[in-house]
Amino acid sequence: MVKKTVQPEDGILVVQNLTKRYNSRMVLDNISLAIQPGKTTVIIGPSGCGKTVFMKHLIALERPSEGKVFFKGDRIDDINERKLARIRTRFGFCFQMGALFDSLTVYENIIFPVKQHFKIDDYNALDKLVKQKLALVGMDGFQNQYPASLSGGQKKRVALARSIALNPEVILYDEPTTGLDPITSDVINELILKLEKELEITSVVVTHDMKSAYKVGDRIVMFHAGRIIADGDKDYIRNHPNDIVQQFIHGRVGEAELAALRFGGTRFETQFAPEDFE
Amino acid sequence: MIIEQFGEWIVGFVGGTGRFSRFAWVSTFASFRAMLRPKIWPLVLTQMYYIGVKSLPVVMATGAFVGMILALQTYDQLYSMGLQERMGVLINLAVVSELGPVLAAVMLAGRVGGALTAELGTMNVTEQIAAVQSMGTDPIHYLVAPRVLACLLLTPFLIIYADLLGILGGWFISVYQFKINAGAYWSYSASGVELWNIGTGIFKGFMFGGGIAVISCYKGFTCREGAQGVGEACTEAFVGCFITILFLNYVFAIVFDAIYKSLWPARSLL
Repeated sequence: MVKKTVQPEDGILVVQNLTKRYNSRMVLDNISLAIQPGKTTVIIGPSGCGKTVFMKHLIALERPSEGKVFFKGDRIDDINERKLARIRTRFGFCFQMGALFDSLTVYENIIFPVKQHFKIDDYNALDKLVKQKLALVGMDGFQNQYPASLSGGQKKRVALARSIALNPEVILYDEPTTGLDPITSDVINELILKLEKELEITSVVVTHDMKSAYKVGDRIVMFHAGRIIADGDKDYIRNHPNDIVQQFIHGRVGEAELAALRFGGTRFETQFAPEDFE
Repeated sequence: MIIEQFGEWIVGFVGGTGRFSRFAWVSTFASFRAMLRPKIWPLVLTQMYYIGVKSLPVVMATGAFVGMILALQTYDQLYSMGLQERMGVLINLAVVSELGPVLAAVMLAGRVGGALTAELGTMNVTEQIAAVQSMGTDPIHYLVAPRVLACLLLTPFLIIYADLLGILGGWFISVYQFKINAGAYWSYSASGVELWNIGTGIFKGFMFGGGIAVISCYKGFTCREGAQGVGEACTEAFVGCFITILFLNYVFAIVFDAIYKSLWPARSLL
């Protein structure tokens, strides 16, 4: 199959031949991807394969070593911070650990982006806005709490409320379900679906939770060692012939790793056991 | 091998210097712009409270002890020469032009510099700085500018307090413990300490304050991940601030001396 190069008009967010190196270590290797508007694109892959770095390029929190990033046909990877600021207000970024400002209350966290970009003196309107956004994620009533007093799932929900405070067109989720119990994970998944359906938001989800990927994803892209190795809908990924893909989606350890474990043994030449110290 | 390491070190050093210079330039520029933006003022006031008001007791204590110890240490030497009434010149000149500004700045570097680096470093590690950026706000404007402004504007005031307490401390020990004639003490002090000494001391405060804030914020913004990263950044920030204060003080001593010698005699003509 001849690989077709993506064009800036192919999607709402388009990445063209993106390469990222840290010093001489290659993290992303010539990635081209067009993200469709109004759909949820899930990026899966093992830890350290460059998923999060890739997502940070989508709002230019990281700048590419080579290649281009387009938002609605306009290049965003080479413009200055002030112009970027305007574009970033059309995005919501939900960080892995929430990244709530711990010196501010939940209320202040949510009005932070609003206050930064609009001059609003009508406090009733602000109260109402915060109430609505929190109600959407089921956290109304937590306005005056500090992030330190919230649980992991609650923090993520508040972070989600904050990322939709400016009614973004695109939301980027960085491992939204990592570290949560199965039920809270599912709540987050439902939230992502709800936002997509009700607000018609384009979502990009980075995850290694396959259950979440199947549930929210319209399209699943798999990264491995900085390259895209599979790209398609759920059924395509489920039946993908590539061994690496199958291993990942079934959470199965590879033959090479198994062999290493088997031959490594558990008896070591030097053993330290509690009785040795008696 | 050695050449390779040396080259790597040089590249790292030059790169680091460049990054710091750019950060310093951008944050200074942002701080001056923040003065014209009323939206930032509440943030500046909050920082002024933490950096300035809360540092006041420790800075005043430093000043007082410096004045007192100077009096204790110099009395015997001057007494043996019968010059004890001139102690005031020595104590007050030392406090106002060197010890007050430098020691107050060092105390600030420890108290404020460490806290700034730890705060911003933790924000960096927990992606809060990236979060500010992702919401379309420049973290330099929102986080660095208020801190730099607060440090820049309040360090001179803290130095004035340190000077004042240093002068009082010296006076207290000299007059009450060593029974020096208060009139003589003050009149010799007044003849020896010029406005120039006080002014340069306070001017140095601006530079020290700006230096402390910029170095600490830079270290916070560039700190490595993990508890150890934040700890290391704090240490580096304090050491960096300390060396910068001493170095700047030395440079200013030379510069001010040159200016003084060339300009000050002309003041009678004005």
